[in-house]
Amino acid sequence: MHGLDWAAAHDLSVDAVRRKTCLQWGAVVATLCGAPAYAADARRIVSVGGALTEIVFALQADADLVGVDTTSLYPASAQALPSVGYARALSVEGILALAPTHVIATEDAGPPAVLRQLTSAGISVAVLAANHRFEGLIERIRRVGALTGRGAQATALQQAVQQAWTRAREPIARRRAPSVRVLFVLAHAPHQMLVAGSNTSAHAMLEYVGASNAIRRFSGYKPLTPEAVIAAQPDLVLLTDQGLKAAGGVAGILRLPGLGQTKAGRNRRVISLEAMFLLGFGPRLPAALSALDAAMEQAMRA
Amino acid sequence: MKALAAPLLVGGLLLGVAIAVQCGAVPVTVGDWLGVFGLGGTGADAATGGAYVLWSIRIPRALFSVLVGASIGMAGALTQGLFRNPLADPGLLGVSAGAACAAALTIVVFAGLPVSIPLSWRLWLLPAAAFGGALGVCFSLDCIARWITPGSIAGLLLTGVALNAVAAAVIGLCTYLATDEQLRSLSFWTLGSLAGANWVLVVLLACLLLLAWWRVHPWVHAMNALALGASVAAQVGVDVRQLRSQVIVLVAVLAGFSVAWCGMIGFIGLIAPHLVRVWVGADQRQVVPLSMLMGGLLLLVADTLARTTAIPAEIPVGIFTALLGGPCFLLLLRGARGRMG
Amino acid sequence: MLMQTLAHPTVLQLDAAGIRLGTKSFGPFSLHISVGERIAVLGPSGAGKSTLLKLMACECQPATGRIWFNGHLFAAWRLADLSRYRAMLPQSSDVAFGLQTDLVIGLGRVARTHDTGLSDIVRASATLAHAGHLLERRFDTLSGGEQARIQLARVFAQLWDAREGLILVDEPLAALDPGLQFDLLDSLDAYAAARGHAVVAILHDINQAVQGFGRLLLVKNGQLVADLPSSAEVVSALESLYGIALRCVCDQQGGLVIAPLRKTVRRPT
Repeated sequence: MHGLDWAAAHDLSVDAVRRKTCLQWGAVVATLCGAPAYAADARRIVSVGGALTEIVFALQADADLVGVDTTSLYPASAQALPSVGYARALSVEGILALAPTHVIATEDAGPPAVLRQLTSAGISVAVLAANHRFEGLIERIRRVGALTGRGAQATALQQAVQQAWTRAREPIARRRAPSVRVLFVLAHAPHQMLVAGSNTSAHAMLEYVGASNAIRRFSGYKPLTPEAVIAAQPDLVLLTDQGLKAAGGVAGILRLPGLGQTKAGRNRRVISLEAMFLLGFGPRLPAALSALDAAMEQAMRA
Repeated sequence: MKALAAPLLVGGLLLGVAIAVQCGAVPVTVGDWLGVFGLGGTGADAATGGAYVLWSIRIPRALFSVLVGASIGMAGALTQGLFRNPLADPGLLGVSAGAACAAALTIVVFAGLPVSIPLSWRLWLLPAAAFGGALGVCFSLDCIARWITPGSIAGLLLTGVALNAVAAAVIGLCTYLATDEQLRSLSFWTLGSLAGANWVLVVLLACLLLLAWWRVHPWVHAMNALALGASVAAQVGVDVRQLRSQVIVLVAVLAGFSVAWCGMIGFIGLIAPHLVRVWVGADQRQVVPLSMLMGGLLLLVADTLARTTAIPAEIPVGIFTALLGGPCFLLLLRGARGRMG
Repeated sequence: MLMQTLAHPTVLQLDAAGIRLGTKSFGPFSLHISVGERIAVLGPSGAGKSTLLKLMACECQPATGRIWFNGHLFAAWRLADLSRYRAMLPQSSDVAFGLQTDLVIGLGRVARTHDTGLSDIVRASATLAHAGHLLERRFDTLSGGEQARIQLARVFAQLWDAREGLILVDEPLAALDPGLQFDLLDSLDAYAAARGHAVVAILHDINQAVQGFGRLLLVKNGQLVADLPSSAEVVSALESLYGIALRCVCDQQGGLVIAPLRKTVRRPT
């Protein structure tokens, strides 16, 4: 691909493109001079965001990965890669030390100044948000495929994911039973709990699984109040595995004030799934949907 | 020994900068240094090479930390001279919190307004808001400091605690109301970070500091008179009201701009002037300029530690200044216990 | 820059100047002070002596009446110019930061933009105030009496090269031992006489006031109750001022000593 077209497609500044071209020429010259150099189109990718790392692995581009962030835990081999730290507090030198050519990041990546510095260093920085939609996942797969040069694998993955999604959604769409009211709790510590309103990834997952978010009156994650919990009348409480542990297990959740007055509290219906699996909007999304559906069904029957 | 203070601090700064630019995640070689000065080597244009890191990241960051430290040090020395109090500091008194609070309000409230602001203005909107917040807090402090018992250290610090609490509450409210994207910008303010350093900011801040020094240096001797008390200062011919308002504006500019560009970095404004006073005495004609040098040196050390202790991650520099400054503050309190009241 | 004529008979003139502080009102005060006068202000505690002194020093703006200094209204003077002709030593003043004593003394002259010979003036002022041995020390390491002497030296330095100015002192001798009190009064007198400065001092010691100062202002309940030359005739005025009985005795040198009479005589045990 011609340098400038590629830049236009990826919103790079012309300056950065010039630098990249210099790098490529410099590398060519260096190769000719016998110095060790990377091949002109070799990719070194830093992935910031567990879901994006999963996509890279799914496209079999993991050989190009040189660094991941702290949320990239799946597959297990991702944890063996060098870490660039927490997504929201990246260090520019920490990333530059890995000499990447591309940085693929979720919308969480920051601080913005570091992303700007990486761009002006000539590294292609692509921020891929899923916007809590399945279509966002498809788009992410397409873009990661383009960035990693694995277009064919991306198309295949898109088809596979689409089929799995359709299969997972089918029983849900057929269901006639009234939707279950679910309360999603985001917990960092026993006394720091937020609930998910609309416009969150948790809300999106609940809609996909045919449940209804017990909290509809606000958007984003907001702190829990006992009256709001009672008014919401959830049938079921959903958390991430990490959050459940932080809140002190099922017993800890059931102790929350107000929960005892709800069906979820009285029937002890608390379920959890792993955080990145449930909310990452990565390639395991269809599997996550099925797992969530199964967990909910089991809890409601018990 | 006193006469050596300035040359020693300048020497320390130069040495510090030289060491700081050598440390970091990316290894840097002699060839890279040559490249920076265009004398061959790998060439400064090769992105991700050591020379690029040196020129575009490390040197601006080291210089920026020195300049930010200098402006915080100067703001601290001026605040202490203004309030006649060695325990005054823009952070403790709530000035930095006021600046951060104004910035937080701007991020959350302005984003919701239907007014479209051109991008170039938006870059200056936050520093302007932070400056406004800092100015508001400074003026409130000055008014309050005049009707509580004059010279009461405890009263002034308690006022600062109250203002800090109010600002923190407003920031908390903004956090509650913020969307995810706004939250990401907001979380930046609570712990300082010098990661955004680039040459434009370095040049801007250098000009600002020079301007501030040019404004303040005719008044530093008059600020000594403030130590005698407001009424005696007026008797010896100092226009206290005018001096106060000018110094307040300057402190607000310095504190506001440093918060706007780096978030809240505490304790340097308290410790730098104190160390200088222990070394050379309390004459403001020496304390103000030397506090700039000392503040620059302290922040350079803190930032270098923050950058290099947990490679590849970066610890926010505010943690290091608190770790350094907290115990120093406790020692200061112990020394001042006879004079509290 | 205000031009001063060489011989201006009236240094300070108060014309029905009054002020209200909280619920108490002080004044109206009407008096004038000539060049080189020595005036002592006496009165019971809370009478308004310090307030009168502050009005004279232009520290408080009068709510009623007007005050002229060297022929011009106080309001018309620039602060820096005023400081060259008028100096005040307040009752207590705390110096923050523990400044060096020579710096404190030199601060009397801070409003001057070009000041040659500052260190000589500082040293001479300190010597005059019996504080020459206290230079190069931190102010907060001094005792109360030593601090008072440094503050007096500051006043000396402030008006060192002025003529026919005004010095206002508020109980400058309170923290000093008797020997030092007399030494300082003599120094103050010599300093002021050499330069033609007028001195207005608030004192509690009746004898010092009567012996060292030619004119007495008696203040009670916020009013100026008497303005008389100091001589033996002041005794009755002083008695009604303080509400105590006084007796005069002549000492061996023929000087007048005024002492308060006690109601009962205390027997030595």
